[in-house]
Amino acid sequence: MDIKESQTVRNTLLQEIGKCRACRFCIDVCPAYQASEWVENMSPYGRLQILKYLINGTLDEDDPLIYSIYSCLQCGRCDRLCQAKGQNLDVSHLIRLGKYLLSQGLVKGSKNEKV
Amino acid sequence: MDVNVSKLTKDLGKIVGKDHVRADKPTAVVYAKDVMPWDLEEKNIPYAVVRPLNSKEISKILKYANEKLIPVHIHGSGTSLVGLARPKTKGIVLDTARMKKITAYPERGYFEAEPGLHVAQVRKELAKYNAMLPVFPGSELVATIGGTVAVNTSAHAVDAALGKPGDFVLGFEVVLPTGEIIQTGTESTRRPAGIDPTKIFIGSEGLLGVLTLIRMRLIPLPYFEHIVAYYNTTEDILDAVMAMYKQGIHPPLFFEYLDERAAKIGFEAVGLDEPIGAVAMMRVHSWSKVGSEDKAQKFLEFLKTGNPIEARIIKDTEEWNSIWSSRAEAGNYMYRLGTTFGSEISPRVDKLKDAFQEAKSIVTNLESYKDAEFISFGHIGAPTIHAYAFIPTKDISNDMKKAITLEMREKTEDLNIKYGGCGGEWGLTAQRVSFLKKKYEKEVYEVLVKMKKALDPNDILNRGNLQGWI
Repeated sequence: MDIKESQTVRNTLLQEIGKCRACRFCIDVCPAYQASEWVENMSPYGRLQILKYLINGTLDEDDPLIYSIYSCLQCGRCDRLCQAKGQNLDVSHLIRLGKYLLSQGLVKGSKNEKV
Repeated sequence: MDVNVSKLTKDLGKIVGKDHVRADKPTAVVYAKDVMPWDLEEKNIPYAVVRPLNSKEISKILKYANEKLIPVHIHGSGTSLVGLARPKTKGIVLDTARMKKITAYPERGYFEAEPGLHVAQVRKELAKYNAMLPVFPGSELVATIGGTVAVNTSAHAVDAALGKPGDFVLGFEVVLPTGEIIQTGTESTRRPAGIDPTKIFIGSEGLLGVLTLIRMRLIPLPYFEHIVAYYNTTEDILDAVMAMYKQGIHPPLFFEYLDERAAKIGFEAVGLDEPIGAVAMMRVHSWSKVGSEDKAQKFLEFLKTGNPIEARIIKDTEEWNSIWSSRAEAGNYMYRLGTTFGSEISPRVDKLKDAFQEAKSIVTNLESYKDAEFISFGHIGAPTIHAYAFIPTKDISNDMKKAITLEMREKTEDLNIKYGGCGGEWGLTAQRVSFLKKKYEKEVYEVLVKMKKALDPNDILNRGNLQGWI
């Protein structure tokens, strides 16, 4: 992914995550959230917030952040929930894009060139 | 305040176990973020999130916080719409998510639940005992029972038909802000007469203590019947509500409305044909099948004395489910189409129409944003009007979001004051200290501050919510 492409991905993520209403309906259906004994940053909602604050510079890349994002199993339950009760976001796709961005080490202000 | 976060984490870890305290920033931002439309600021982001298992651990956390003078913000699921869930200062977030036990005692006539259970989970558990949970928030999939009782929100239920959740609370276990664990109320189904500390904690919004066990009456599940009524305009629905109270008609358990615009959005969202005008929907309840049918029939006859295009009882569950879900989906879909800024207006019933017209005027004449569209829905039988400023874009700056939110808040507060109401659903203190000061004599706010100081001398719990910080 070159710089231009990473910018496009960042913009897409910010735009799409901006649609999240923080209703938190998606958290209960997430198997990683359940397995973590209900820690909200191990939920779809939590991962979207982390990605937003990572891209806007509030957060730096660090191990807990990467752990939260990578705890997504891509099962897609949150997508169904968001489609039915929320804002119709393709949540698991956005998290996948976030993982891709992280893995390229192209997040602005990143301390880790390669994750 | 100078806090050594690694020492704090270590100390809290000794109380709850190191797996249940997190001081990393990703966790901190997730727990600080709530539904308020503007972004977090550094002051909102906590030092650590701690996840206790029981009242003993909470007691130790609060004693520790008092010793170190670190604020503690209680977190259920963070679904409060008006800022209650967002920490106003740096501190410790106390998450109740691990406290999820529930036990029903049918032979004693009550159940006991820990605060971290989601409302829908409680409802599911009570269904085994053919019992009804008297709490109906739109966010019941995720809102916690602890938060619901701590706010004492009626949500969909019409107060005059059922009462508020607090009316069914028999007692609590509470951890006081200074760490003492106390029991309140009774184990009998007979609630105490006279002074009962239980009542102080109902609706206390986490300012006076942490609710760690909630004892509520088991209510045998009633029979329900459903009615839908279509009107040319929202004003016709307001007339029906005003007439209902004036004539002394028994109010239904739910009495919701969608205005002309919200009805179109909601009905389209669930795949129903577009209605001509505004829509009202009601659920009546009674303890017998015959009783509920009779009540529905009588309420239908009453509605027909008004001016509906059509009003009928719905027997088909599937049809009712899609009409009822159009009410919930209207809010969701509005947000999908743009950005919304809500309000809660609960006027004196005889002033309902005046309040509605003025709410409309507030939205269409906003100073912080020109050309906002007025859309409204809500629990009109209660009566609650949710007046929304709808802006058909997501592309609004953070500062603009804050300005619109604050202008809507201030102007709708004035409307509640003008027409004798004060809101009955979203909780008062976190955002509305200015409202309390404007509406009541200054002594009223002073009493609240004294009460807080008596129980929480170091202002540890939910600091900033009673000061009106945003």
